This record gives sequence, C-alpha cells and structure tokens, in this order.
Amino acid sequence: MKPTLSLRAFALPLALGVLCLFFYLREPLFLAPRNLTQLLVEFALTGTLALGMFLILLPGQIDLSVGSGVGLVGGIAAVLVFHHGWPAPAAMGASLGAALILWLLMGALIVRQRIPAFIITLGGLLIFKGLFWLVIRNATVPVVAGGGENLYSRLTTEYLPQVLGLALTALVLAGLGWAQARDRAARRALGLAVSPAGAMALRAAAVAIAAFGLVLLCNRFRGVPFTLLVLAGVAGLVHFLTRHTPFGRHLYAIGGNEEAAALSGIPVARVLIGAYGLMGVAVALTGFMTTAYAGASTTTVGDLMELDAIAACVIGGTALRGGRGTVWGVLCGALLMAVLLNGMTLLAVEPELKFIARGSVLALAVWLDVRFGGGAR
Amino acid sequence: MHPVVAARGLTKRFPGVVALRGVDFDLRAGEIHALCGENGAGKSTLIKLLAGIHPHGSYEGELRIDGRPAAFRSVRDAEAAGLAVITQELALVDELSVAENLFLGRAPRRGWRIDWPALHRRATDLLREFGLDVDPETPVGRLGIGQKQLVEIARAMDKRSRVLVLDEPTAALAPREVGVLQEHLRRLRAGGTACIYISHRLEEVRALADRVTVLRDGATVATLDRAGAEPAVIIRHLVGRELTEQFPRAAAAVERRGEPLLVVEGLHVAPPPGSRICLEEVSLTVHPGEVLGIGGLMGAGRTELLLHLFAGWGRRRAGEVRLRGQAYAEPAPERSIARGLVLATEDRRRQGLIPGEDITFNLSLASLGRFTRRGGWLDLPAEQQAAAGLFQSLRIRAPGLATPVRGLSGGNQQKVVLGKALLTEPSVVFLDEPTRGIDVGARVEVYQLIQRLTAAGCGVVLVSSDLPELMGLSDRILMLAAGRPGGEFARAAFEPERLLAAALQAPAAANPISR
Repeated sequence: MKPTLSLRAFALPLALGVLCLFFYLREPLFLAPRNLTQLLVEFALTGTLALGMFLILLPGQIDLSVGSGVGLVGGIAAVLVFHHGWPAPAAMGASLGAALILWLLMGALIVRQRIPAFIITLGGLLIFKGLFWLVIRNATVPVVAGGGENLYSRLTTEYLPQVLGLALTALVLAGLGWAQARDRAARRALGLAVSPAGAMALRAAAVAIAAFGLVLLCNRFRGVPFTLLVLAGVAGLVHFLTRHTPFGRHLYAIGGNEEAAALSGIPVARVLIGAYGLMGVAVALTGFMTTAYAGASTTTVGDLMELDAIAACVIGGTALRGGRGTVWGVLCGALLMAVLLNGMTLLAVEPELKFIARGSVLALAVWLDVRFGGGAR
Repeated sequence: MHPVVAARGLTKRFPGVVALRGVDFDLRAGEIHALCGENGAGKSTLIKLLAGIHPHGSYEGELRIDGRPAAFRSVRDAEAAGLAVITQELALVDELSVAENLFLGRAPRRGWRIDWPALHRRATDLLREFGLDVDPETPVGRLGIGQKQLVEIARAMDKRSRVLVLDEPTAALAPREVGVLQEHLRRLRAGGTACIYISHRLEEVRALADRVTVLRDGATVATLDRAGAEPAVIIRHLVGRELTEQFPRAAAAVERRGEPLLVVEGLHVAPPPGSRICLEEVSLTVHPGEVLGIGGLMGAGRTELLLHLFAGWGRRRAGEVRLRGQAYAEPAPERSIARGLVLATEDRRRQGLIPGEDITFNLSLASLGRFTRRGGWLDLPAEQQAAAGLFQSLRIRAPGLATPVRGLSGGNQQKVVLGKALLTEPSVVFLDEPTRGIDVGARVEVYQLIQRLTAAGCGVVLVSSDLPELMGLSDRILMLAAGRPGGEFARAAFEPERLLAAALQAPAAANPISR
C-alpha cells in the first residue's frame, strides 16, 4: 500500500508540472504574470465549485445540476441589478438565498423521497437551464448598468494591493503555525505522539515558500486576484468542516458505510441535506464570479462546469463511491483542469478538440480511480 | 495410499510478516480434518495457498495432490484438481434466483440458450436432497445469511469436488442448520470426499472431525486424533496456555437488582417492506448489572427485536417500552445513544464499521458529541487520547490507531465495534452475536468485557446462537420462537434441551429456516 500512496501523492503535482512545461514550451506566454493571473482567476472559479462538489461526493452523492445552477444564480443577480436597479449586494444576497433554498429542496427530495441523486440533479440540470434562459430572456444581461462598476463586476477585476497581499499571507501563515503549535502542545500534554519537529519545520517552510512565491508572482502583474481570496476562504472552510467538525466526520462515515453510519447514531438525512445546502452556496459564489468574469450573463455561462468540478474532485483522489478525498487533492485537481483549459485557449485549440480533451481527462481520471483507488474497496 | 493433499514445509512470507513457517499438513481421503487456530494463526493463508489464490512460486515448500506435485497458478487450476473452497465472503449473486446461483456458470443449456425447465428441475432436486426448504425461484438477496451459506455449500457439493474446504461454515448458522450441514458432511465423508473444516466452535470440531490440526503463529502445533481432540486440549494448543475460565460469569453470577433499566411489555412490531418477521407479545426486563440472554433459531426475530428497540426497525403496533424509567415511543439510533442505549451489531462489515477509516475514526464515531468543543470543532487530541485508552484496555492488536479497520482480523474488528459502543458511556448494551467468527482468545476477552460492564452496573442484552455461550454468560435467558416468546429461564433452569424446546415451541415455528 505504501508505495502506491506516495506515488498517488506525487503523480498529480508531477502531471501538473508536465502539463505546464508542455504549454510553456509551445507558448512561453503561458507562464507570463498576466496569463498566470488569469489562470488563477479561472482556477478560483473551478476550484470553488469543485470544493462544493467535494462535500457532495464525500457521502457518495452526486450533483449534475451545478453548471446550470451557476448560470441561473449569476443570471438572477444580473437581472436584478441591470433590469430592476437593485444594488449589487442586495441582488447577490437574494440570489444566494435562492440557490440555498433550491439546493436544500433538491437535497430533501433526494434524501426523504429516496430518489437517486443522479436523476434528481439531472432533472435539475435541465430545469435550471430552462429557468436561467427564462430569467435572462435569452439575452445578454450585463452585471452592471451603464458601463460603471459595482461589487458584482469588481469580483473578478479586483486585486489586492501588493503589500496587503503579502501581509495577509503572513497573517494566515502565522495563524496556521499557531494552530499547529497549540495542537502539538495539547497532544504532548495528553501524552500522545507528535511528529518530529524537523519534519514539521520543513513542511512549514515549504508551505511558506509556496505561498509567498505565489503572492510575489501575482504582484508582478496586478496583485493577488480577489477571487483567489474567495477560493482560499472556501478551501479553508471546507478543510475545517471536513477535518475538524462532527459534520465532516459524518460525511466520511456516510460515504464509507451508510448503514453503519446510521446505526452509529448519525442523522444521515440531515447531514446529506446540509451538504446539498452548502453545495448551493458554492454554486452561488461560483455563479457570481463566473458571470462577473464573463462580464455579463449569457446563455452559455456555467456550461459543463459540473463536469469540470467532478473531474477536479476525482483527479484529486476523491472516490466517486464516497468516503475518501481531501481538500488539498481537490485543489490540485481543479488547478489541473484550469491549466488544461487555459493552456488550450492560449494555444487557440479548436473548441471541438477542447471538448474532446476535457472528456478524455474526465474519463481517464475515473478510470484511474477505479483501477488504482476505490476499486479495491 | 497417498494422502489426497500433502503439504510439506510450506512457508509464505508477506512484506514484514511470515504468515506460514514450514507448515506440514495431510488430508486423507474420506476424512474430515478440522483446522483450528486463532485469527492470524495462518489458517486463511494455508487455505488460499491450497485454493491457488497464492499461486505456485509465491511460497516455499511442497504441495502434493494424490502424491503428485501440484503447482496451482490460479483458482481455476485448484478447482480442476477437485478442490472447492467455501469462504466466509459468500460468492453468490443477490439479484439472481437460488436456482440460477446453484448452477452459476454451468447452467444446463439447449443450444446456446439456458434450458430453464432442466435448471429448475435440477435445482429443486438438489435443494430437496440437501434438505433446504427454499423456493428455487427466490432471489438469493432475500435469504438470510445462514440460508445463503447453505445454498453455496449445496452448490459446491453438487460439483462433486474431491476436497471440500469450508472456512467457518457454521459461523452464521442456527443449531438446526448446523445439524443439516454436519449430516451432509458425514454423508460426503462416507462417499470418500475429504474435507478441511475450519471452525472456532470446538464442540462442532469434537462432533465432526476425524483429526484436528492446530496452527499457532503460522506453524503446525499439533495434529490430534479423534480420541485426543478434547476441547481443553485444543484450547491449550491454540493459545499456548490453559484457559480455565472460559466463562468468567459462571463463576461469579452476582445478583444485582435495582430499578429496571429497560422494560418492554407486550410488544408487537410489524415488519418493514422486504422482511416477514413479526414480533408478537414480546416482554422483557433488564436490571442493572444483569445479562439477559436472548436465544432462538435464525429468523426468530432476535436481531429484529434489538434493532426495533435501538433503531426503530419495523412499525410498532402495540406495547410499551420504558428506557431508564421513561417511555420510549419512537426509537432512533441518535436518540437511543443519547439516552444510554447502544447496539453492537451482528454484521460487523455491513453495519458496524466504516472499513476504509482508521481505528480512531471508528471508535469515536458514535460519541463525537463528547469531543465537540464550543463553536462546533472537534478536539482531536482528546479524541486520540480516548481512542488510545480503549486500544489498550480492549487489547486491540494492530500496528496503531491509524490502521484502517478493513485490515484487522475479525476479533480485532469486533473489539473496535465494542469499543465504539463503550465510548458512548451506555447504561444498556445490546450485543448481537458478539463472538461470531472470532478466535478463542478474543472471545474470552469479550466475555471479560461483559463481566466488566455488568460489574459497572450496565444492563446487557446478549443475542447468541452459541448455546453454551448463552448459558455461560446470561443471568436469565429469553427464548424467541418465530417472533414470539418461547419461554424465559432463570439460571438454575438452564438446560440445553429445555431451551431448544422453547425455541421450537411456538406454532409458527414449524418452518424456521425459510422464514
């Protein structure tokens, strides 16, 4: 088991490196700060949605409706702003609420009526698409009236000032370090084993270098994109939820063995509906960012994003049968998808081939999962 | 005459472990040869070697069939040589009918189509011959685990294999089914079939085996003849020490009374869709410090009774349940655990454990509330500490707390299930077949655990198909027969014959196997 595990852990960064190198050799602009910043924004969109999907896949569920949902939620907010003159925060708040309600409803339908998630969310895919086109009346609805700026439009155009980016990174790293130190102290006080300090220091140094490197890279263009901050926040929250709360334990337990989980006193229905609710929130956040990135709500916003999200999770080692996966893996998977799409766009690959490439990567990831991962369960 | 199977100096190494060290083993034609050993002693490895699962070349030593060297490269090779292995993980397809399963992969054909009339005729004959009263058209998924096992054994016997290897065939069987199986094994023996029989139940070994080989730590410790195979002798070889107190409770049955912890009166429960077991007129009382044993045949409703009281199985038609003095109308696992009632399930893999997760995760799963701090986060160090405590006190044998429970032996998995229940700090503990499929050493540890629970004032409800165990551990025994009480017995009145008569008593129990 050990060798395959470490192979798995290194295979993904390795694949990412090879992919980046390939794009760089074909088009050196790929690694230019401007393109990298754009890549990070796209990574944030895919990543946020994938993290929501992660919470759905963990307990062995699936959600095919999120791509349409992204379009719908972004569309509702755009229409409220552009046609009804709502202030952006109110419009976004209202659409977030709508998404939450829709996904809680869908979750309740799946759990209480025992209809397979695949079917309900496939229905959701079509229904949300239809609603979306009704809401925007098949037109292009800008996210801001009269060519100005508002909170909505600035989601993907806002960058952190250079100093603030660095300061924030330092603050977050310090916080993480403090939490680690506290955990170690608590373990030691209880007489439990702690990992050697040298290894810890090495890991901390690696994380710090990576984080500061990323920020400095962004600073060579305009600074850290605000969307990346959203992604970081969501990732931190999902990590905390899955690793440090009973809710997260319940997700893993339900995915690992639903019957045993139920008999251990886990409120399976409530947990699953909660997971769908959080998916709704992730859909809303992604919807706002994606629509803002496109500049307007158009009929194609969000198309096929559900597949990118699922692919990101599976590439990152999340089992489709549930019970296995990490936030770190999902982020790596999302980055790989983002690199793939961005690189292909940069190389002006035909849309036909882009579809084929995306599909192949998804199929390959699932095959690898079945062959080397969850298949052995 | 050559032995049918002769193994000389078999050694099998896994990374970091030597599973077999120079095992010698003979199987003669027409004998039932019992293989005993604690979990991890090397029985499974030996069988996998015989069955071709560990192919020739992956082990050292020599394997001969009928005196000729055998080099099985696959399961197919072993089957071709006449070896049939029936493992605990049943190889049946739930969605297919009993008849289809019996002739899986070798259905009678007419041209390229399956000859359905012939299939059903042969299946009916086979089932009748085997004394198994099930409809050949029933999907196997609807059968209980004991019936499934009998179907699989019937299938292997029909293949006319010369060597039948049975890995704990009776672990899930009720006494009557065990009788049916033994009868057939004896008949096959008379016909010259050789049989390797693995069982933890020493009375069975005593009743059935011509010879007994005991494995310990991957080596052959002894091969005993029928005359020398006293349970006490086998146990001494198994554990390498004498276990004088198999049932600690028998020595110290303390009368402890107080306000009853659990009272059930006149319970009627209708089954959920998919089940046909009804509970009728069931009443029971559990006092602090007391073990109430529940006996009965398969399908008598023992597991269902526990599941109803703990998890709300079925629909309650009538009756009253009081848990620690308070009415308990709509049971659910969450509420039960909160109110001090916990269930350690019978089917560990399916209902008890999250197999891919580690020991800590599984131990704390039912008690996460205890480790949740203000703000909703888990106190991981505290959780780790509690898990480490149980790991030690239950003597779970594993490399560490981070070991996935999937890789543990049956006995250690059971300890994790029990540990999970204990961590909820229960006052009433339901144990459903807590020693099924675990080795003698772990079994005694479970017995001691029950002792500790009652000494601490817990009430225990114990369901067991092992009659000596039930009698050795219980203060009172309630026998169920087809979902109805068949009689309640105080310790002084424990006699196997009377208990069995009570299990068979109720009128609806005429056909206990096909429930």
